[in-house]
Amino acid sequence: MTALIAARDLAKAFPASRRLGDVLRGRRPMVRAVNGVSLGVAAGRALGIVGESGCGKTTTARLLLRLEEASSGAVLFDGQDVTALHGRALLPFRASVQLVFQNPFDALNPRFTIRRSLAEPLSNFGLPAEQHAARILEAMARVRLDPPEAYLDRHPHELSGGQLQRVVLARALVGHPRAIIADEPVSMLDVSVRAGVLNVLRRARDELQLAAIYISHDLALIRYVCEEVAVMYLGRIVESGPTAEIIAAPAHPYTRALVAAVPVPRVDQDRGALPIKGGLPDQLNQPTGCAFRERCPLAIGRCAEEVPLLRGIAAGRLAACHLA
Amino acid sequence: MDALLSVRDLAVHYATAEGPVRAVDGASFEVPARAIVGLVGESGCGKSTLARALMGVMPRTARIAAGSAVFEGRDLVTLPPAQRRDLLWRRMAFVPQTAMNALDPVQRVGAQVMEVLTERGGLTRQAAQARAAELFALVGLDGGRLRDWPHQFSGGMRQRASIALALALNPALLIADEPVTALDVIVQRQVLDVMKELQARLGLAMILVTHDVAVVAYACDRVVVMYAGRVVESGPVRAVLEAPLHPYTMGLMNAFPDLERAGGELVPIEGAPPSLLDPPAGCRFAPRCPFAVARCAEDPTLMEVAPDHHAACWRAGEAPALRPRAAQAATWAIAAEPLA
Repeated sequence: MTALIAARDLAKAFPASRRLGDVLRGRRPMVRAVNGVSLGVAAGRALGIVGESGCGKTTTARLLLRLEEASSGAVLFDGQDVTALHGRALLPFRASVQLVFQNPFDALNPRFTIRRSLAEPLSNFGLPAEQHAARILEAMARVRLDPPEAYLDRHPHELSGGQLQRVVLARALVGHPRAIIADEPVSMLDVSVRAGVLNVLRRARDELQLAAIYISHDLALIRYVCEEVAVMYLGRIVESGPTAEIIAAPAHPYTRALVAAVPVPRVDQDRGALPIKGGLPDQLNQPTGCAFRERCPLAIGRCAEEVPLLRGIAAGRLAACHLA
Repeated sequence: MDALLSVRDLAVHYATAEGPVRAVDGASFEVPARAIVGLVGESGCGKSTLARALMGVMPRTARIAAGSAVFEGRDLVTLPPAQRRDLLWRRMAFVPQTAMNALDPVQRVGAQVMEVLTERGGLTRQAAQARAAELFALVGLDGGRLRDWPHQFSGGMRQRASIALALALNPALLIADEPVTALDVIVQRQVLDVMKELQARLGLAMILVTHDVAVVAYACDRVVVMYAGRVVESGPVRAVLEAPLHPYTMGLMNAFPDLERAGGELVPIEGAPPSLLDPPAGCRFAPRCPFAVARCAEDPTLMEVAPDHHAACWRAGEAPALRPRAAQAATWAIAAEPLA
């Protein structure tokens, strides 16, 4: 299966805040937010990128969307390297890959009617005005806002969070993208309405054969919407493969801890002790070898010497652990 | 029941230009000694307002309009402010959502713990120092970190420190408002484990305010489900989560993605909670409820439907028959989504 959108060895380093000692010595420390990430997702499929805050998942999304310039590596879309494109040359890519915003309460202009918010991207992509109305109705139907007339002339403050997030999704879909990237698409919503938005996202992906990438800290949510998952830790992918398989039998000790930590909505969860020690290390002073080794209950001598590379451990599954 | 805290018909109103907002409108529940009680519901259901009203930390626009909250034999609602202040820290203490709100950013963490111990607790500096180290050990923090500034702590460490601070004077009840919501899952689990251990070791009772049913399932002994300012269901965690009596609780359980449960559609609860400025008469969940009947126009009171298991629903007796229907998305799709 060929990937519609892919990252090849993407890396991004940001300048870290300098301490006095750094300034005096003329040092400019860099934080490697994303460090050699390769991934891809085919049309009609969904990939989840999961990890804790600071693991680089949001930066990876921004690199894929070309909202951030990569320090090295490439973004590929439909087989074409789009990393070096700028300005007008980037416009077709912008129309094809859409971001679904996290916070519906500030993703829409409060002064615009819903209709105007949906028409705006169409104007930006140069679609003739007479085609706007049909596209807008189609997008509203896609996100199950029915009847559309009841919403189109309203302003964002008149809608509930769940309705707003559907408008945000309609806005991403209205230009007929081929891929969507959603960063924590329901984290701002109440539990009772999350399910509705997730169902709409899932159906839109199926009906339009979109390539979808979801960024989330919530493995249970990723399991619900993504067949594939990539687990990130300190800027690297430490494990990837089919979501259900990884949750049932995680290969990397970090994934194991992550799965063990997710609470489930059932009594009698015999979860045992968490197989992880301490907290995230200082991003500027990461341990040698495997970045996870100081927290790992299984670490051996080799883990301090050699960075484990992401390698195949079973069909469709990769892990970056010497012991996997 | 031997209740440490007994809340009866408590109402908390916010004054607004358009009239009073009934954020909490007749809430009743009990917190037994040494129990962790989850107060669960969606944003705007009144759970945080209720927790803050119990602590006596409310914004100026809020007031307790009715009801009682009897804590260790004394009604917090009618207690003179001076006596109420005496209870804070010593008998009940608060852990806010973001630990940054509990910690003063320009004071070393240790100095803040010491201040509570010496000023409020009357300990000598020496005794306070020993106690501060003991408190840090209790929540799994290294005593050496007492010299740190709050900004040197990670989110999880700050939350542990604010729990240590709340425990300083040996309270019987801890009220924690979304204590793990802002934390990553691994850190969240570590903090919940600290709370469970404190309950076991110190015999502490806790009210844990959360929107997350899974957190309740993991950490709580009892649960109180709130909807639109009211308690709709309460009881032991097992009874409420495994055999919910109220359709809202059933909906909440089915709307939640479960890590270990394969496939299937999540079942959303269509619609949105009502405005509390002018709440509808009768059952407040009725407009979203697929099982609503004519009688729901009449206000259901919280009734003991099964031993120690309360629900405010006229059809709670039919719950076993309603539960399988509530698990199907088609059931909920019938209730049309009203426009906000």
